[in-house]
Amino acid sequence: MANDQVLYQYSSSPHVKATRTTKQIMIRVCIALLPAAIMGIVYFGLKAALIIALSLISAVASEAVYLLIGKKTIKEIIAQFDFTSAVTGLLVGLSIGVNYPWYAPILGSTFAVVVVKMLFGGTGKNVVNPAVTGRIFIFMSFQAVVGAWVIPNIGAVGGLSVESGATVLGSVLNSNLNGVSNLDLLLGTGLAGCIGETCKIALIAGGVYLAIEGIINIGYPIIYIAVTGLFTVALNGFDFAYFLPSILSGGLILGAIFMATDYTTTPNTTLGNVIYFVFLGLITAGLRQATHMEVVSFAILLGNLFVPLIDKFVINKPFGFIRAKKVKENKNG
Amino acid sequence: MSIRKGKNYPYGIHVKDMKELCAESPIVKMPAPKKVYISMSQHIGAPAIPVVNVGDKVTKRQLIGKASGVVSANVFSSVCGTVTAIEDIVTSSGLKMTHIVIENDGRNDEIFFDNIENFEPQTIIERIRLAGIVGLGGAGFPTAVKLSPKTQLEYLVINGAECEPYLNCDYRLMIENTEDIYKGAKYCAMALGIKKIIIGIEANKPKAIEALSKYDDIEVVVLKKQYPMGSEKHLIYCTTGKKVPIGKMPFDVGCCVQNIKTLIAIKHAIDDNKALSSTVLTVSGNGIKEPKNLRIQIGTPLEDIIEFCGGLTDGVVKIVAGGPMMGKGMIGTNSYTRKTNSGYLFLTEKETNSEQPSNCINCGKCAKNCPMRLMPMYIESYALAGDYENAKKYGAMNCIECGSCAYNCPAKRSLVQSISMAKSKIKELKI
Repeated sequence: MANDQVLYQYSSSPHVKATRTTKQIMIRVCIALLPAAIMGIVYFGLKAALIIALSLISAVASEAVYLLIGKKTIKEIIAQFDFTSAVTGLLVGLSIGVNYPWYAPILGSTFAVVVVKMLFGGTGKNVVNPAVTGRIFIFMSFQAVVGAWVIPNIGAVGGLSVESGATVLGSVLNSNLNGVSNLDLLLGTGLAGCIGETCKIALIAGGVYLAIEGIINIGYPIIYIAVTGLFTVALNGFDFAYFLPSILSGGLILGAIFMATDYTTTPNTTLGNVIYFVFLGLITAGLRQATHMEVVSFAILLGNLFVPLIDKFVINKPFGFIRAKKVKENKNG
Repeated sequence: MSIRKGKNYPYGIHVKDMKELCAESPIVKMPAPKKVYISMSQHIGAPAIPVVNVGDKVTKRQLIGKASGVVSANVFSSVCGTVTAIEDIVTSSGLKMTHIVIENDGRNDEIFFDNIENFEPQTIIERIRLAGIVGLGGAGFPTAVKLSPKTQLEYLVINGAECEPYLNCDYRLMIENTEDIYKGAKYCAMALGIKKIIIGIEANKPKAIEALSKYDDIEVVVLKKQYPMGSEKHLIYCTTGKKVPIGKMPFDVGCCVQNIKTLIAIKHAIDDNKALSSTVLTVSGNGIKEPKNLRIQIGTPLEDIIEFCGGLTDGVVKIVAGGPMMGKGMIGTNSYTRKTNSGYLFLTEKETNSEQPSNCINCGKCAKNCPMRLMPMYIESYALAGDYENAKKYGAMNCIECGSCAYNCPAKRSLVQSISMAKSKIKELKI
């Protein structure tokens, strides 16, 4: 046998690897979003299904078209497809309301995938979260054309009484807790809002699934949500009645579990992540109070921009690291 | 008779250990092959210099390669026969080494050392040096050098962790050759003037823990099953609680770590006057028909081992010399057993999960798992960009190449490869 004949795969160690790939992680994130999507369709009807489908399809299709223009073959595109664009599409669809026109999710998803992700170099290279940016894109572009928020098909079960067209968050931020029911906020019944945001139970179920699968550290969204709630309480004169309504209303839970935890746009160390999520909580509560608007996506966008800074300064100390002893300056000298 | 639990170390990974393939099969002695190819560089340091010529008749355990410096080791013949060639061979792992080829004539002769007269540290170390004993855990650092530290040490730590998946040779030896390990450890402690002997064993080896706990003067420390528990620095931390500072060696914190097989070799060299000419290794993986633990003559060709283990199954995609996490890959079967070999693995597609790397998604798993607490993703990207200064800044030189980062990487990036490339570049460019 010739000595230089390559008969077996040759590589650097390690020669065995864990089975989980990026694609499998993203498929699991899609699965985790399913309960929220289903509840959205139950609450808001077929228009919700249409919006989610359009958003999902346009996200995946725009990535494929982008790669086709980049002279990739269909075979390569299929091999390369890692479901990140599907996650983006689903999240964009879930984070807008049924009152938006049908072309809004198409524009939003395409913008998110092509401009925010692909133009920066594809999976893992984006600076800010594509879904968050897509949501903001839609939010900014369609303010004039959308009508009032739509109340879901299933009425309130816990005594929630908010007029059509207003969101609970608006009442909370206007320091009016009359007619706010935490049970309705949790279930999303009788609650106006975005397709995937209203049913918090479904979102939490998805989050727990991701935590069990080891994909996200459940501590981080909890930090984010808790800091937001506590800071809102503090801003309202330490009235703890605001705690639950502030964390259960708006897009906080969807944002905390699915958008803020995006691997690419979070710091790489445990300490860095804690700093990042506390920061998100503070700006979310602060901005909400200042603007009386739903700001979770803006807060995440802002937080994303600080991630490189956090990563620059927060790095692990190697095992066996000994801090150089500081030489105390002699004050008398 | 003292067993205690080791200190917890929170960073590291859980690997599928696959030891069940041959964990309970006793060590089998493989008959000496017809021809042995004995390498002159089976250790760290300068290669040994051949002291025999083509055509010479040699006897088993006769010196055929002489150590060429302080950090070098003697090499002995593992069979009786005739030297047919002294040649440079490029083995399948890509290393070019001088090999002495000896044709086995089937004689049963052996050469022994003289009996040791006194058990002074100097005599013991001299015998270990003479017998060509090197660290048999894989590194191959000459043991005699390791046993001559400049300072007085406190602990002798025996490495019974065997955290590499698939490998069982240390485990089998702990059960079958317990007495040899004990004696070897005693000689080692004698040479170093150490009183405290500790052995660290992973919790998944209850039989080995039981076997070694019968000695009064060895403390058995049960370690959590975690990779890389067998790494020197982590073993010291978990057994003694001491942290080896960055850039320092175990003897800086008063510890000396020895491998199970090294201790057995020391025992044979001193009690039985035998030079090192055979080793124990695990042949495993789903690609070999009969996974086995073998006692084998140094220089045995891999093809003979495959034949002895029933041949290959279909679908072998990778052959590895050593453990799957830190071993060396091979392009073919042109390989000859060396002192430091701890196994040969034949892996199928299902076991390797070797997919093409994709973009890093910044998940941070590599940094979270790194037992040295480095930032592998930064080191890798700096290394690939050719910025070795920054790679060094993020700790490239502290990497122990355990593979924890690459094992769990969802993007399947070749982190270890990039980091070790950076390490050699940093050394080469003296950054």
